[in-house]
Amino acid sequence: MKKIDIVVGARPNYIKAFPVYEALNKTGNFDLRLINTGQHYDDNMSNIFFRQLGMKKPDVDLSVGSDSHAVQTAKIMIKIEKEFLRKKPDLLIVFGDVNSTIAAALTAAKLNIPIAHIEAGLRSFDRSMPEEVNRILTDQISTYLFTTSPEAEKNLLLEGKIKKQIYFVGNTMIDSLVKFEKLFNCSDLLIENKLIKKEYILVTLHRPSNVDNPSKLKDVANSLNMISEKTEIIWPIHPRTWGKLNQYKILLNERINITKPKGYLEFMGLQKNAKFIITDSGGVQEESTYFGIPCFTVRDNTERPITVNRGSNILVGSDFTKLFDVIIECGKKEKRRNLLPEKWDGASSERIASIIINNIL
Amino acid sequence: MSRAFREFNKTSDKKIEEIIIHTGQHFDKNMSEVFFTELEIPHPNYNLEIANLPHGAMTGRMLEAIEVVLKDEQPDYVLIYGDTNSTLAGALAASKLHIPIAHVEAGLRSFNMKMPEEINRILSDKISNLLFCPTEIAVINLKNEGIVSGVHNVGDVMYDVTLYYREQAKAKIELSKWNVTDGNYALCTIHRAENTDNLSRLQSIFDALREIAKELPVILPIHPRTRQLLKRLDKETWLKSINILEPLPFLEMLRLEMSAKVILTDSGGIQKEAYFHEVPCITLRDETEWVETVEMGWNKIVGADKEKILNAYQSYDIELNKKHQQSPYGNGNTANKILEILINEKN
Repeated sequence: MKKIDIVVGARPNYIKAFPVYEALNKTGNFDLRLINTGQHYDDNMSNIFFRQLGMKKPDVDLSVGSDSHAVQTAKIMIKIEKEFLRKKPDLLIVFGDVNSTIAAALTAAKLNIPIAHIEAGLRSFDRSMPEEVNRILTDQISTYLFTTSPEAEKNLLLEGKIKKQIYFVGNTMIDSLVKFEKLFNCSDLLIENKLIKKEYILVTLHRPSNVDNPSKLKDVANSLNMISEKTEIIWPIHPRTWGKLNQYKILLNERINITKPKGYLEFMGLQKNAKFIITDSGGVQEESTYFGIPCFTVRDNTERPITVNRGSNILVGSDFTKLFDVIIECGKKEKRRNLLPEKWDGASSERIASIIINNIL
Repeated sequence: MSRAFREFNKTSDKKIEEIIIHTGQHFDKNMSEVFFTELEIPHPNYNLEIANLPHGAMTGRMLEAIEVVLKDEQPDYVLIYGDTNSTLAGALAASKLHIPIAHVEAGLRSFNMKMPEEINRILSDKISNLLFCPTEIAVINLKNEGIVSGVHNVGDVMYDVTLYYREQAKAKIELSKWNVTDGNYALCTIHRAENTDNLSRLQSIFDALREIAKELPVILPIHPRTRQLLKRLDKETWLKSINILEPLPFLEMLRLEMSAKVILTDSGGIQKEAYFHEVPCITLRDETEWVETVEMGWNKIVGADKEKILNAYQSYDIELNKKHQQSPYGNGNTANKILEILINEKN
């Protein structure tokens, strides 16, 4: 039986990996092993995850924890190499753009283990993002590239990858959304915060450029305070960001409801029922497109342009002092079209499984 | 490059501080300690002493250790050379800290992803800001991968090195040391995993060497790993009739290269050095990054096949007219060109 290692390291990875694991497992053709690098350690992000979704627990846990980018990447490489040498997988599957993705891929490449990269070809063309570097490098050493959009394929071809390596399969994260959508529920949270469906704004911010620098954080707070005068906000906030706000005595309007980070099902409920979303995350841009909820992405670029061109995502730039005006301006325009990107249909993992069976292993 | 920095500092008001990080990837004393002494390269400011690990662990440990140094030193540029694990680890560490990276020997491709060096090359190039290519073909390779900005064809820094040290080697070292005379021996080096870790390839190569040794002395400075392997497998008889040496210091190696009748090698650098010295080369690999040497008729890519090796050896006598064509590797002034670009970019 051919052996496949599937490596996950952070929350977005689980969502993308779970349906792929299931689809491969269902075929009964493979000896699968799920390796969790432990790049994120946080109960909401991992344990609850397995409980809520009934996702298979990892077979191997490398427990690397958080550290500087280089050290984290290094630790994963050192530990995962031992696993690869022990099991000698016939294929490695990695996802997305986190440090675990490149660390596992690089180690496998040196051992001549073929690599399949799921969510290949995304490019923000902003090298200052560590994720961009991870994406570019992982794609270069992957043999099989599974893409979520035609743009991704174009990016890969421009970098010298060849057509027959590339498989446009759609978005496996959407598979998870489709599968679990019935379970998405944030009613308790809304009651607790006295919020009404479709009458609140969901805010998620996690990029260091937005939440680490005190003067930037002040801009963020000012702009959210203004926006919340019009519509109430709910902001699941990372404890570190909350600490920063307190440390620098940055005050938030009481119409901004602060909560702890939420589990997957509850957080998806918050997205689905929001009036609109303000985010700097990659995954939320795609999820909101699936839900058809307008999403203001406070970044200067996106590696997921299809969510802007077809979906409900609006790239507004990272200047928070302008955010209020931009949102008002958008509200005046006629309603945006909102199309679901091609093959974001819940069947992407099935496509991947059948390609692996027919063309790869 | 170190020499270029030194010369520059002698005459310029602005000084360039070069901080050398030695990862320790090559652990043999002859292979690196002597290197610094002989080549008058300043001693490394940092020696990380990372060696003897599998690729993943080695690159990982280097990455951690280099990051510490880069955080302390805050350099304006990180210069990386070639295609080793150290090259990639240096590039990754710098990239994560947003320090601009300059890759010397950028754009070389063997198009064989099974070689760890190919992975190191491609990835290092992907994250470098300045790409110093030794040849026009390297520039084209990068273009095919979508890399056009920051690319400079500066020639080959190894040509600088060879020109500079050739005279020194000739003056200091006698061939009689090895009981050979000018143009009357074959020089061989084998170190790549694809040969040393594959017994049937290794045997085929040694069969050919023994055949050649019947008419021409064959000198083989042997890599410690290869020697250990042969010992372990009880195959030391393969070495019979071949003149086995310990790994050689740089100048001695250069001396042997320049006067060989033919060089057989699986090294990347030596293929090109053979061309610099106008010595025909037989490459014991299935592909090469130095395609120019092949196109000009100075290099034959034969893999590990005994018959092909011997054919190449025999046919060189007839084919080659030893007229040097226009060198595709620049004019021996590469280090200065690189320096100039680094300074201009910084301003």
